[in-house]
Amino acid sequence: MKISVRDAGETKIVEVEGDVDLGTSPDLRRTLFDALLHAPKLALNLAAIRYIDSSGIATLIEVLKDSQRRNKEFVLFGLSPAVRQVFHLTHVIRIFQVFQTEEEALGSA
Amino acid sequence: MPSAPRYLPVVRGAIGPLAAAVGWDESDCRAITLALDEAIANIIRHAYHNRDDGLIEVECRETPDGLEITMLDTGEAPDRTKICARAIACDQPGGLGTHIIKDVMDTVSYQATPAGNRFVATKRLRKTI
Repeated sequence: MKISVRDAGETKIVEVEGDVDLGTSPDLRRTLFDALLHAPKLALNLAAIRYIDSSGIATLIEVLKDSQRRNKEFVLFGLSPAVRQVFHLTHVIRIFQVFQTEEEALGSA
Repeated sequence: MPSAPRYLPVVRGAIGPLAAAVGWDESDCRAITLALDEAIANIIRHAYHNRDDGLIEVECRETPDGLEITMLDTGEAPDRTKICARAIACDQPGGLGTHIIKDVMDTVSYQATPAGNRFVATKRLRKTI
Protein backbone atom coordinates (compact mmCIF):
# COMPACT_ATOMS: atom_id res chain seq x y z
CA MET A 1 0.00 0.00 0.00
CA LYS A 2 1.25 3.48 -0.87
CA ILE A 3 -0.03 6.63 0.81
CA SER A 4 0.62 10.25 -0.13
CA VAL A 5 -0.72 13.53 1.21
CA ARG A 6 -1.07 16.82 -0.64
CA ASP A 7 -2.71 20.18 -0.04
CA ALA A 8 -5.56 21.68 -2.01
CA GLY A 9 -6.28 25.02 -0.40
CA GLU A 10 -7.20 24.32 3.20
CA THR A 11 -7.97 20.67 2.47
CA LYS A 12 -5.56 17.78 2.95
CA ILE A 13 -6.03 15.17 0.24
CA VAL A 14 -4.84 11.67 1.08
CA GLU A 15 -4.23 9.29 -1.81
CA VAL A 16 -4.07 5.55 -1.15
CA GLU A 17 -2.97 2.90 -3.60
CA GLY A 18 -3.04 -0.88 -3.21
CA ASP A 19 -4.58 -3.11 -0.55
CA VAL A 20 -5.90 -1.92 2.82
CA ASP A 21 -6.05 -4.89 5.17
CA LEU A 22 -5.13 -5.96 8.69
CA GLY A 23 -1.45 -5.48 7.89
CA THR A 24 -1.64 -2.07 6.22
CA SER A 25 -4.59 -0.30 7.86
CA PRO A 26 -2.49 0.90 10.85
CA ASP A 27 -0.35 2.97 8.44
CA LEU A 28 -3.46 4.45 6.86
CA ARG A 29 -4.86 5.21 10.33
CA ARG A 30 -1.68 7.06 11.38
CA THR A 31 -1.60 9.10 8.18
CA LEU A 32 -5.28 10.09 8.35
CA PHE A 33 -5.19 11.06 12.02
CA ASP A 34 -2.03 13.10 11.47
CA ALA A 35 -3.44 14.86 8.41
CA LEU A 36 -6.65 15.65 10.27
CA LEU A 37 -4.65 17.55 12.88
CA HIS A 38 -3.29 19.92 10.26
CA ALA A 39 -6.33 20.88 8.20
CA PRO A 40 -9.99 21.72 8.71
CA LYS A 41 -10.95 19.27 5.98
CA LEU A 42 -9.65 15.87 4.93
CA ALA A 43 -10.51 14.20 1.62
CA LEU A 44 -9.57 10.56 1.00
CA ASN A 45 -9.14 9.37 -2.57
CA LEU A 46 -10.07 5.66 -2.75
CA ALA A 47 -9.83 5.33 -6.56
CA ALA A 48 -6.56 3.38 -6.53
CA ILE A 49 -7.50 1.00 -3.73
CA ARG A 50 -7.75 -2.55 -5.06
CA TYR A 51 -8.98 -4.08 -1.83
CA ILE A 52 -10.24 -2.91 1.55
CA ASP A 53 -11.32 -5.07 4.47
CA SER A 54 -13.21 -4.36 7.68
CA SER A 55 -10.09 -3.08 9.44
CA GLY A 56 -9.85 -0.42 6.74
CA ILE A 57 -13.52 0.45 7.06
CA ALA A 58 -13.18 0.57 10.86
CA THR A 59 -10.25 2.97 10.44
CA LEU A 60 -12.38 5.28 8.30
CA ILE A 61 -15.17 5.19 10.91
CA GLU A 62 -12.66 6.12 13.63
CA VAL A 63 -11.34 9.04 11.57
CA LEU A 64 -14.87 10.21 10.78
CA LYS A 65 -15.83 10.21 14.46
CA ASP A 66 -12.64 12.06 15.39
CA SER A 67 -13.29 14.64 12.68
CA GLN A 68 -16.78 15.21 14.06
CA ARG A 69 -15.40 15.66 17.59
CA ARG A 70 -12.98 18.27 16.25
CA ASN A 71 -15.64 20.03 14.13
CA LYS A 72 -13.72 19.13 11.00
CA GLU A 73 -14.81 17.52 7.76
CA PHE A 74 -13.83 14.09 6.42
CA VAL A 75 -15.04 13.13 2.95
CA LEU A 76 -14.40 10.23 0.57
CA PHE A 77 -14.22 10.19 -3.21
CA GLY A 78 -13.36 7.91 -6.12
CA LEU A 79 -14.88 4.68 -4.77
CA SER A 80 -14.38 1.80 -7.20
CA PRO A 81 -17.11 -0.86 -7.50
CA ALA A 82 -14.99 -3.21 -5.37
CA VAL A 83 -14.60 -0.68 -2.57
CA ARG A 84 -18.23 0.39 -2.79
CA GLN A 85 -19.27 -3.27 -2.38
CA VAL A 86 -17.42 -3.50 0.95
CA PHE A 87 -19.07 -0.29 2.15
CA HIS A 88 -22.46 -1.74 1.30
CA LEU A 89 -21.67 -5.11 2.92
CA THR A 90 -20.80 -3.30 6.14
CA HIS A 91 -23.81 -0.97 5.86
CA VAL A 92 -21.75 2.11 6.70
CA ILE A 93 -21.91 3.98 3.41
CA ARG A 94 -24.69 6.22 4.75
CA ILE A 95 -22.54 7.71 7.53
CA PHE A 96 -19.92 9.06 5.12
CA GLN A 97 -20.00 11.95 2.68
CA VAL A 98 -19.09 10.23 -0.59
CA PHE A 99 -18.32 11.99 -3.88
CA GLN A 100 -17.46 10.81 -7.35
CA THR A 101 -14.62 13.22 -8.07
CA GLU A 102 -12.01 15.27 -6.26
CA GLU A 103 -13.60 18.44 -7.58
CA GLU A 104 -16.96 17.50 -6.06
CA ALA A 105 -15.31 16.46 -2.79
CA LEU A 106 -13.45 19.78 -2.51
CA GLY A 107 -16.60 21.73 -3.19
CA SER A 108 -18.63 19.97 -0.53
CA ALA A 109 -18.01 22.38 2.35
CA MET B 1 -0.13 -20.11 6.49
CA PRO B 2 1.70 -18.29 9.29
CA SER B 3 -0.47 -16.02 11.42
CA ALA B 4 1.04 -12.89 9.88
CA PRO B 5 -1.00 -10.28 7.97
CA ARG B 6 1.59 -10.15 5.17
CA TYR B 7 0.32 -13.54 3.99
CA LEU B 8 -3.27 -12.35 3.62
CA PRO B 9 -2.73 -11.21 0.00
CA VAL B 10 -1.47 -14.70 -0.85
CA VAL B 11 -4.70 -16.30 0.33
CA ARG B 12 -6.80 -13.59 -1.33
CA GLY B 13 -4.95 -14.29 -4.56
CA ALA B 14 -5.96 -17.94 -4.41
CA ILE B 15 -9.57 -17.88 -3.25
CA GLY B 16 -10.85 -15.42 -5.86
CA PRO B 17 -9.85 -17.55 -8.87
CA LEU B 18 -11.14 -20.68 -7.11
CA ALA B 19 -14.54 -19.09 -6.53
CA ALA B 20 -14.60 -18.01 -10.17
CA ALA B 21 -13.77 -21.56 -11.28
CA VAL B 22 -16.65 -22.89 -9.17
CA GLY B 23 -18.97 -20.50 -10.97
CA TRP B 24 -19.51 -17.28 -9.06
CA ASP B 25 -19.48 -13.90 -10.78
CA GLU B 26 -16.93 -11.17 -10.10
CA SER B 27 -18.96 -9.52 -7.36
CA ASP B 28 -19.55 -12.79 -5.49
CA CYS B 29 -15.87 -13.74 -5.88
CA ARG B 30 -14.89 -10.45 -4.24
CA ALA B 31 -17.36 -11.06 -1.42
CA ILE B 32 -16.11 -14.63 -0.80
CA THR B 33 -12.51 -13.39 -0.85
CA LEU B 34 -13.43 -10.72 1.70
CA ALA B 35 -15.19 -13.24 3.95
CA LEU B 36 -12.18 -15.58 3.99
CA ASP B 37 -9.81 -12.67 4.60
CA GLU B 38 -11.96 -11.51 7.53
CA ALA B 39 -12.07 -14.99 9.04
CA ILE B 40 -8.27 -15.28 8.89
CA ALA B 41 -7.87 -11.77 10.29
CA ASN B 42 -10.12 -12.73 13.21
CA ILE B 43 -7.88 -15.73 13.96
CA ILE B 44 -4.75 -13.57 13.80
CA ARG B 45 -6.25 -10.96 16.10
CA HIS B 46 -8.28 -13.01 18.55
CA ALA B 47 -6.77 -16.52 18.62
CA TYR B 48 -3.13 -15.53 18.23
CA HIS B 49 -3.42 -11.97 19.62
CA ASN B 50 -1.46 -10.61 16.64
CA ARG B 51 1.46 -13.00 17.20
CA ASP B 52 2.95 -14.01 13.85
CA ASP B 53 4.39 -17.37 14.94
CA GLY B 54 1.11 -19.25 14.90
CA LEU B 55 -0.11 -21.50 12.14
CA ILE B 56 -3.44 -21.42 10.34
CA GLU B 57 -4.47 -24.34 8.16
CA VAL B 58 -6.76 -23.16 5.39
CA GLU B 59 -8.65 -25.56 3.16
CA CYS B 60 -10.96 -24.34 0.43
CA ARG B 61 -12.82 -27.16 -1.24
CA GLU B 62 -15.33 -27.30 -4.04
CA THR B 63 -18.38 -29.28 -2.96
CA PRO B 64 -21.26 -30.62 -5.06
CA ASP B 65 -23.29 -27.50 -4.28
CA GLY B 66 -20.63 -24.84 -3.87
CA LEU B 67 -17.65 -24.11 -1.67
CA GLU B 68 -16.53 -25.15 1.80
CA ILE B 69 -13.84 -23.26 3.69
CA THR B 70 -12.26 -24.95 6.70
CA MET B 71 -9.66 -23.38 8.96
CA LEU B 72 -7.83 -24.79 11.93
CA ASP B 73 -5.70 -22.88 14.42
CA THR B 74 -4.10 -23.68 17.75
CA GLY B 75 -4.49 -20.26 19.31
CA GLU B 76 -6.80 -19.26 22.11
CA ALA B 77 -10.25 -20.73 21.76
CA PRO B 78 -12.87 -18.18 20.77
CA ASP B 79 -15.30 -17.01 23.42
CA ARG B 80 -18.60 -17.89 21.81
CA THR B 81 -20.38 -15.16 23.74
CA LYS B 82 -18.12 -12.60 22.07
CA ILE B 83 -18.47 -13.90 18.51
CA CYS B 84 -21.18 -11.58 17.38
CA ALA B 85 -21.77 -9.48 14.35
CA ARG B 86 -22.25 -5.79 15.00
CA ALA B 87 -25.68 -4.31 14.53
CA ILE B 88 -25.97 -3.12 10.99
CA ALA B 89 -26.25 0.53 10.05
CA CYS B 90 -24.47 1.88 13.10
CA ASP B 91 -21.26 3.85 13.29
CA GLN B 92 -19.28 1.62 15.65
CA PRO B 93 -16.13 0.13 14.11
CA GLY B 94 -16.10 -3.23 15.98
CA GLY B 95 -17.60 -6.49 14.74
CA LEU B 96 -17.60 -5.58 11.06
CA GLY B 97 -15.60 -8.65 10.03
CA THR B 98 -17.93 -11.13 11.70
CA HIS B 99 -20.90 -9.35 10.15
CA ILE B 100 -19.32 -9.67 6.69
CA ILE B 101 -18.58 -13.39 7.14
CA LYS B 102 -22.15 -14.14 8.21
CA ASP B 103 -23.61 -11.95 5.49
CA VAL B 104 -21.58 -13.48 2.66
CA MET B 105 -21.47 -17.15 3.64
CA ASP B 106 -24.54 -19.40 3.97
CA THR B 107 -23.35 -21.33 7.04
CA VAL B 108 -20.66 -20.51 9.59
CA SER B 109 -19.62 -22.67 12.53
CA TYR B 110 -16.92 -22.58 15.20
CA GLN B 111 -15.86 -25.70 17.07
CA ALA B 112 -13.20 -26.45 19.67
CA THR B 113 -11.54 -29.77 18.78
CA PRO B 114 -8.56 -31.68 20.21
CA ALA B 115 -6.57 -30.48 17.17
CA GLY B 116 -7.49 -26.84 17.72
CA ASN B 117 -10.14 -24.30 16.85
CA ARG B 118 -12.05 -25.31 13.77
CA PHE B 119 -13.92 -22.80 11.62
CA VAL B 120 -16.13 -24.03 8.80
CA ALA B 121 -18.06 -21.85 6.38
CA THR B 122 -19.99 -22.89 3.32
CA LYS B 123 -21.57 -21.10 0.41
CA ARG B 124 -23.97 -22.60 -2.06
CA LEU B 125 -23.78 -21.79 -5.73
CA ARG B 126 -27.25 -20.90 -6.87
CA LYS B 127 -27.43 -22.11 -10.43
CA THR B 128 -29.69 -20.26 -12.82
CA ILE B 129 -31.65 -22.40 -15.27
